[in-house]
Amino acid sequence: MSAVTLPVVLAEVLARGDVWRGDTLASLPETALASGHAELDAELPGGGWPRGNLTEILVDRNGLGEMHLLLPALANLSLEGGWLALVAPPWLPYAPAWALAGVSLERVVVVRAGKDAAWCCEQLLASGGFAAVLAWPATGIDARALKRLQVAVEGRPTLACVWRSQAMAALPSPAPLRIALAAGERDLQVRILKRRGRPEARPLHLTLPRPGRLPRALAGPSLSIVATRSAAPAAVA
Amino acid sequence: MALHGLACWAGRFTPTLSVLPPATLLLEISGCLRLFGGAAQIVEQALAGCAEQSFTVAWAAGPTPLGVFWLASANAGVVYQKLPDLQVALTALPCQVAGWPDETLARLGAFGLKNLGDLRKLPAAGLRRRLGNAPMDDLARAWGELPHPQRAFIFPEVFLQKIELPARVEHAEALAFAAQRLFSALLGWLQARQLLVRACTLELTHDDGSHTDLPLRFAEPTADELRFSRLLREHLGRLQLSAPVAALSLHADEVLGKPGESAPLFDQAVAGEGALLCLERLRARLGQDAVQVLAQRPDYRPECATHSQAIDEKMTAFSPSTVTIKGARPLWLLPAPQALAEVAGRPSWHGRLSLLSSAERLESGWWDEGENQATGDVRRDYFVARNPLGQWVWIFRDAQAWYLHGLFA
Repeated sequence: MSAVTLPVVLAEVLARGDVWRGDTLASLPETALASGHAELDAELPGGGWPRGNLTEILVDRNGLGEMHLLLPALANLSLEGGWLALVAPPWLPYAPAWALAGVSLERVVVVRAGKDAAWCCEQLLASGGFAAVLAWPATGIDARALKRLQVAVEGRPTLACVWRSQAMAALPSPAPLRIALAAGERDLQVRILKRRGRPEARPLHLTLPRPGRLPRALAGPSLSIVATRSAAPAAVA
Repeated sequence: MALHGLACWAGRFTPTLSVLPPATLLLEISGCLRLFGGAAQIVEQALAGCAEQSFTVAWAAGPTPLGVFWLASANAGVVYQKLPDLQVALTALPCQVAGWPDETLARLGAFGLKNLGDLRKLPAAGLRRRLGNAPMDDLARAWGELPHPQRAFIFPEVFLQKIELPARVEHAEALAFAAQRLFSALLGWLQARQLLVRACTLELTHDDGSHTDLPLRFAEPTADELRFSRLLREHLGRLQLSAPVAALSLHADEVLGKPGESAPLFDQAVAGEGALLCLERLRARLGQDAVQVLAQRPDYRPECATHSQAIDEKMTAFSPSTVTIKGARPLWLLPAPQALAEVAGRPSWHGRLSLLSSAERLESGWWDEGENQATGDVRRDYFVARNPLGQWVWIFRDAQAWYLHGLFA
C-alpha cells in the first residue's frame, strides 16, 4: 500500500487550492484594484489595492505624494462611474487638479464629518454604493472603530483607506493592510507594515510623478543662484 | 379627519375607494387582485396596516358593496369570493344591520321578520307597498340584482394631514410613532396619485400654540416607507423640543410624477442601500452643507475654482472648464493662504523651501474687488517648492509676502 501512496509528488500537494504556503501572498483576484504602480502591485496581496478590506495609510507629513499612490486607482474607478467619498479631508480639494488627474468631479462627495467621521465612514462603507471611501479621522480613531469599519466594508466592492499618523504604527490594528509612507531622497518610501501573506521587510521606493523640476542636488549650490535672484525667482538649474 | 387619512393610506391598495362616513372605507379591489396575489393577501396587508396605526377594524370582502358593508357592520371578517356565498351570509343578518329608519324596523318587527333572509322570502311587490321602495332597493343592491355605483374618494391635490396627539409628547423620539401614521398616509396618497415626494415638512404644534417646522429633504424623489422612517428618526434624534407637542401635521412640499419603469427581468442583487440613500442620511445628521459634490468653476484664482454643490438627483453634467491650466496644480488647498516666514530672504516652511518651477503669474479677479467676502483682484506668482522633509508645496508671492497655498499630495 505504501508503495502506491509514495509517488505523491510534493509539487502536486503544493498545487492544491487548500494548501497555503507561508511564502506566497494571498491572492484575491476579483477584489484587487491595480494601483498603477507595478512595484507596489507586486507586493500587495492580489496584485493591487484591496476592495472589501480596510487599508490603513500611516503618514505624518503631507505633500509627499501620498495621494498619487492612490490616484491612478481612483481615476480608474471614476472612469467606471463609481462614487468617491472624501470624509473629513484636512484641506480643501482643489477641483481642477482632481479633474486633471482623471477623477470625474460630479462623483466626488466631500463629507465634512467633524466628530462623526467614524460613523460617516461606517455608513458610507456599509451602503455599498461607493467605489472608494477615503477618510482622515482628525481626532484619531481607535481599534474598536476600525474593527467596525472593517466589518462594514467586508464583502463590499469598496476601496477603503483610512489615514492615520505614524505614531499608530506600533499599535495593533484590525486593518488587513497597513502601509507607512515617508519621504525618501527623491521618491516616496513605502513600507508595508502588515498584509495578508509573509511580512515585507524591505521598504519600497516609488518614483511618482512630481510637479516642477527636481533639482540636481536638493541642498546644493544651485539654491544660492536662486537666492541671489530675489526679484523674480526662476527654476533651479 | 382620521378616516380621510386612512383613505389616503389605503391608496396603496387601490386608487378606487369610497369613504362612507362616519367610519367606513370601501375599497374596490377586483382590479388589483392579481397585483397583490388574491383578496386574502390584500385583506391581510390592510389589516396589518390598520393594526400598525392602532385602528380596530371590522371588515368583510365580497362582490357587492352594500352586502359587504352590512357584513362588515356585523363584523363578519370573511372574504366571500362568489355572489351566492355572499347571499347565503346575508340571509342570516338581522334587519337592524341595514340602518333603515326606526319606523321601518318597527314594522318589520311587527311582521315577525327578524333577519334579511325572512325579508327575501316574502313577495317583493307587497313589501314595497307596505315599506316603501328604499328598503327593497337596498336589498336588491346587496343581493347584486341592482347596480350600486359608489362615489369615488378623490385624493386631494395637495397632501396635508394633521393628527392631534392623544397625550402631550415631551420627547422628540416619541413622536416617531404618530408621525409614522402621517407618513403611511403620505405613501398611500403618493401611490394612488403615481407621485414621488422630494421634500416634505412635518409641523409640530406645541401646546402653547407655537409651531416648529421640520423640513425633510430626500436625495432623490421617493415613495419608500422605510426611507421615510429612517430619515425621520435621524431628524427626530437631533430635535430638541421647546415645548410639549400637541399635534402633528405633514405637508408634501415638492412632489413630481413617477417615471414609468419596467421591472428587471433578472434579479439584480444590490448589496447595501446605495450611494444616494446613504448620502441622504449623512445629510440629515450632519446638515445640508456638510455633504457636497465637487465641481469646478472657470476661474484662474485657485480659491474660486472649486465649487461645492448640494447633491441633487439630477447632477449638473460635467462641463469642461474654459480655463486651461498649463502649470502644476495641487490636489489640496489650504482653507486660506498661510503666510510663510522668511529666513535669509527665502520662504521657509518646516525648513527652507527650494523652488522647483519658474514663476506662474496669476492675475485675475478685478470684477469682485471690494465685494464682501470675495477674493478680489489677485496678483500672485506661484511656485512649486519642496522643503527638506520632502513635502511638495504650492507657494505664491504677492506684493507683501510669501504664502503657502497648496500641497502636492
